[in-house]
Formats: sequence, structure tokens, C-alpha cells
Amino acid sequence: MGLSVHLRKKVKGFNLDVAWEINNELTVLFGYSGAGKSMTLQMIAGLLIPDDGFVRIGSTTMFDSSKRINVPSQQRHLGYVFQDLALFPHMTALDNILYGSNNMGKSERRERAGEMIGAFHIKGLEEKYPAELSGGQKQRVAFARALMRKPYALLLDEPFSALDNPLRIEMRQFLRGIKKRVDAPIVFVTHDVAEAYAVADTMIVYSNGTILQTGTPKHVFENPWSVEVAVLVNATESPQIAY
Amino acid sequence: MLESSVLFSLRLSFQVAAVATFFIIVIGVTVAYFLAQRNFRGKELLDMLFTLPLVLPPTVTGYYLIILFGRNGLIGKPIYAWTGWSIMFTWHAAVLASFVVALPLMIKTTRAAIESVDKDLINASYTLGHSEFETTVRVILPLAKRGIMAGAVLSFARALGEFGATLMLAGNIPGKTDTMPLAIYSLAGSGEWSQANGMVILLTFMSGLFLLFANKFSKGTI
Amino acid sequence: MRIILVALLLTIALPFLATELAVAADQQEIIVSAAISLKNAFEEIGKLFEGKHKQVKVSFNFGASGDLVRQIEGGAPVDVFASAAQKDMDEAEKKGLILPDSRVNFAGNSIVLIIPADSKIRIQTFQDLGLNQMGKIAVGNPKTVPAGRYAEEVFVHFKLLTAIKEKLVYAEHVRQVLDYVARGEVDAGVVYSTDAMARTKDIKIVATAPEDSHRPVIYPAAVVSKTGKQGMAKAFVTLLASEEAGKVLKQYGFKAPGKNTRQRL
Repeated sequence: MGLSVHLRKKVKGFNLDVAWEINNELTVLFGYSGAGKSMTLQMIAGLLIPDDGFVRIGSTTMFDSSKRINVPSQQRHLGYVFQDLALFPHMTALDNILYGSNNMGKSERRERAGEMIGAFHIKGLEEKYPAELSGGQKQRVAFARALMRKPYALLLDEPFSALDNPLRIEMRQFLRGIKKRVDAPIVFVTHDVAEAYAVADTMIVYSNGTILQTGTPKHVFENPWSVEVAVLVNATESPQIAY
Repeated sequence: MLESSVLFSLRLSFQVAAVATFFIIVIGVTVAYFLAQRNFRGKELLDMLFTLPLVLPPTVTGYYLIILFGRNGLIGKPIYAWTGWSIMFTWHAAVLASFVVALPLMIKTTRAAIESVDKDLINASYTLGHSEFETTVRVILPLAKRGIMAGAVLSFARALGEFGATLMLAGNIPGKTDTMPLAIYSLAGSGEWSQANGMVILLTFMSGLFLLFANKFSKGTI
Repeated sequence: MRIILVALLLTIALPFLATELAVAADQQEIIVSAAISLKNAFEEIGKLFEGKHKQVKVSFNFGASGDLVRQIEGGAPVDVFASAAQKDMDEAEKKGLILPDSRVNFAGNSIVLIIPADSKIRIQTFQDLGLNQMGKIAVGNPKTVPAGRYAEEVFVHFKLLTAIKEKLVYAEHVRQVLDYVARGEVDAGVVYSTDAMARTKDIKIVATAPEDSHRPVIYPAAVVSKTGKQGMAKAFVTLLASEEAGKVLKQYGFKAPGKNTRQRL
């Protein structure tokens, strides 16, 4: 499969200009808040349109400004987990999950839903509303929903940021589990170094709309290409302030 | 107290308000949706035009409606030439007047309700493969339901109490177009205060009740 | 931005400034509530009066006679009341709203049937109102508008009332009837001949109601009992009954009040 992007966008004085390419691996977009990581995800998903560039998933071109190609978000067949999870508050957990099965046949839908519920240990929670679920349970429902259609790529926008630390650490294991069952590129946005280090196959370091370095976490940690990168990855706390 | 003329006005008022509110909901929600979700040239101008009847004196609104729908009006003239029918002095005119003055209320409340729906939810729906129409029907409208209902209740109350524009378009014809506000006006004008009492109390009570409901809807305590 | 703010404040303040300038020092004002059919004639008579009494300003309040009684009853600061029928003045007298000794009849009028100038319907008499092709007919609301009552009397006289009741559209005052007909909103209307004269361009007079088909249209005027300017108010009423005013009224189509001066009904 694989995912390659080249994205340029100018928004209110902020200039984004990034290009990278990954395989079927878990790639972390790492950097301070406001560096352009979420923006990148939104452009891959088709929720935001780049001024210029392209987005290719596998052999499919989702966006190409030079060829005037722009596949609508609905047809990109991607899985997206939002920062606040975006579970529909007026639907039960089961209905939320089934909402992700658009265009699937009835029996296929039921079978797949059962599979997701089992895999994510959501059994018994189907009829509950998001407001009645715990943080961790909501996570699992959000992931199940995003994976119903076996997406070409999985985009995760800081999905664990709302959880307490112990739960966050648990989620790393969860993510490794996801990696095993999803045969597609996973792009994971975070500003937590430990998290990046724990789950990433590849790390892409963002700063102020550009990419400072790409490599395995070990490589980036041991061979930072600039002082800025060194500071970013050596930080023991998640940095909150933009430079 | 419950003379047949009073009963007629009562029935007419509710009939007019109900029909007007039906159209208000259909058109109001549609317009509010486009104002909330789409960006296009002249959007704010359109919004202002739709809001105008809210701040203009009802007599000014009535004036414009006569210019449009009077028997010699821009729209009324061709209709009369075509069908021999004029909306003036009919209960349909009362519906038109109520519709125009109460529509802005519906649009404002609904637009706010739609805009308050978390954008992430809408985006999530798109990424999960659902079209804009499906997203509107399955995500946006259900979540904006409270605001829409509050708007409908307010519009109904406003339609029930419409006077100025109604008087100009439908006239005050006993047994035909005298809604409660118009009937009260006539009775007061000819000194028949005691007859007006019943309707005044009823209208006050109902308006208060509607306000309460509208508030409960928007707060979500219903 | 600031310019807009200043402009806004000016537009709001302007009316206040204007009215301040209008009220000159040392001016007395009398307020005359009159039936709306008297509008044009009274405005001229008002100027006549101001010419004779230099420090007095006459302000008019025109409306349907019934509404005017209601206003005076409600405490409106009116000095003189002139109505289009005895009925309303009788009511005012009964309620002690006017000084009975000041009451005088000063004009008469006749009732006419009018149609829009471009009307395609051929009618020639009141009876023709009963024809099928006759659509809506405008008259004043009998509850508050004397012209409406007179119209009803004419209909009863011609035995038309039940036949045409469904077609009647009630207006709030007689000038509104005139407007409905002039605009073509209705197919016919019943107004005073003086009203018809006021708007010859848009309407056509079809027929005049015979005098015996309705109560005589007589306009009484009187001084309002609660007036604080009795002297001036009495002077105005006296002017109304004088020959001078009579000439003005005649110009506008009014008739002399007729022999029975105090017809109580």
C-alpha cells in the first residue's frame, strides 16, 4: 500500500510545506502544537484542500493540484479518529460502529460489526450511549467505527490526549495490537515523545509547517540533525508552547 | 363568553398559525441550513433580507406585501389575470402575513442550532463515507433538534399574535379573517371590552405557555 | 467605523431637534378630533382659524368617528370633536364627554357607490351589486365607521344585505374604503361623495344613494368637556357653523346640514 504526500498550504500567516512517503507502517507525526500535524491529516482525509501538491494512497491519487484531481472525503475510504473521538452522542455505541459500514451489504455489515466488537472488547456496551461510556471504552468504539470498512489508511489525530496517563500507556499496547490487524499505513499525530518512541516505526519531526527530520525513533533520538530536533525529542514533558 | 364569533376567531387563529408554522419550518430549516453550512457571495446580505421582517414595523412589512400580492401587485396582478383570484381579504393572506413576520425567528434559532453542532462530528461523518445530505439528515438535524423545536414554538406564538401586516392584507372581516388579535382590536374599538376579555386572557395564557416550552426546549430540559 | 456611529446618533437625535424647533414660545394649541372624511376641508378651515387667531395652532387627529370617541373616553387631550354621524356624538354626549350646549350641526353629505376607474364590470345601480360578476365590496366597519352604517342602511333599503353580505370587506375608516377601490383590491365600495371627489383619478362614481335610503348624513361638532381651552374650542366650533367655513365645505362637496338640526336617534 503506502502513502505519499506533498502538501503546501498558506493559512493566515502560517505556511505549511511538507513532503513525505511511508509504507505500511505506523508513522508518527511529532512536534509542538500548531506545527501543522493535524492540518496534514485533514488534507490527507480530504477535509481540507491544499493550495498545491498531491496525496497518493497506494496507487490511487486522492488529490493532485496539477491534474485537478480532488476525490471527495466520502470516497477516499480512510479511517479517521479525531482528537475528541467525535462519537455521535445521539447514537448508541453499536449504531456509531454501524455508521462506519456505509455501502456494505446487510450480512457483511453484521458480521464485520461482530468482529469489531469482539476484537475491541466492546461486548455488552452496544446499547450504551457515548455519555455512558468510560474514556477507554469510547476510544475502542471510535477505533472500531473507523476500521469497519477496512480503510486504505488509518489517520489518528492525538486520539489519546483526553485520557489519564495510566490509560495512555495502556493505549500504546492497544495501538500495537491495531498495527497487527491493519495492513495499511497508520499515521499517528502526537506531541508526546514517550508515546512516539513507544509505537512508531518511523518518526517525522514537524516544526512550524516544515519537516526537520525523518527516521526511526532510535535514529532521531541518537542523531538529531539540528539543535531544534534535539530539544524537541529530549523534552521529558509534552511541549505545549509553540516556538 | 364563548360566543360563536369568539369561537370562530379562536379556530381561525390556530388554523392560520398552524399553516404558517408548517411552511415556516420547511422553508426556515432549509434556509438556515444553507446560511449555516455554505459560503457564497452575498450570504450576509441574504441573511439580512430574511431578518428584516423581525425588526421592521409589521405595517412596513404589510406595505411591501401589498405591493407584491395586492390585486395590482407585482405578483398579485398576474395571479389575478390567470385565475381571477386575489389573496387579499382571505385567510390565506393572514397566513402569508404570519409566515413573513415569524420566519426570521425560525431561521435565527435554527441557524444557531446548526452552527453549534460540533464540526468534528460532521467531518467524521464525511470520512465514514456519508454524503452531505445523509450527514444533514442523520447527524446535523437530530443534534439541532432542540433549537429547531424551540424556533418552531416561538414562530407559532408569533404567528398567533400577528396583527399589523395581517390587518393590512387580510382586513378585519368578521367571520372570515378576524383572527383573535384583530377581533380584540374591533371589540376594543367599539367599546365591547367584556367580550374581548376572554380572548385576551386566552392569548396571554397561551403565549406564556409557549415561551415556557421554547425555553425548555432550548435548555434541553424537555 | 466612527463615522457610522456618528451618523447613527445623528439620525436618532434629529427628530428630537426638529420638534424642539417647531414648538415656538407663547403658542397655544388646540387639538381637533374629526371624522376622516372631513380631512381635506378641515385642514383648510384650520388655516382659516389660525389666520384669525394668530397665537393659536390647530392640530388635527383624523380617524373613524367610533375610534375617536374611544380615544376621548380614554382621556385623550382633545378640545373639539367632529363626527360623521349623530350616533357617535350622541354616545359622547351620553357619556358626558362633550358640552351639550356647544353641539352644533355644520355639514351634510351624500352616499355614493364607486368602482375602480379601470373596472371591467358593468354596473349602474346599487342593485347591480347583487350580480354574480360582482366580487368584493368594501364598506366601513359598521361598528366604528359611520359610512359603514350608512352603507348598511342603503343595502337594507334596496333589500340587498343578505345577498351581498358574503362579499363585504370591512375597512377601518372611510378613506380606506376609497383606497381599496382606487387600488383595485375590491370591485366596488360605498363612500361619501366628498371622498369620491378627493380621488377622481382612480375611481368612478356609479350612483348616488337616494336620500330616503339612509339616515341623513349630518356632521355635528362639539367642545370636549375636559378641554382646558374652552374659549378657543368654542371659537373653533363657531367658525365651523359660520358661512365662511360653509363656503370651504361646499368647495369640497359637503352639503348644508339640513333642516332638522338636532336629530336624536
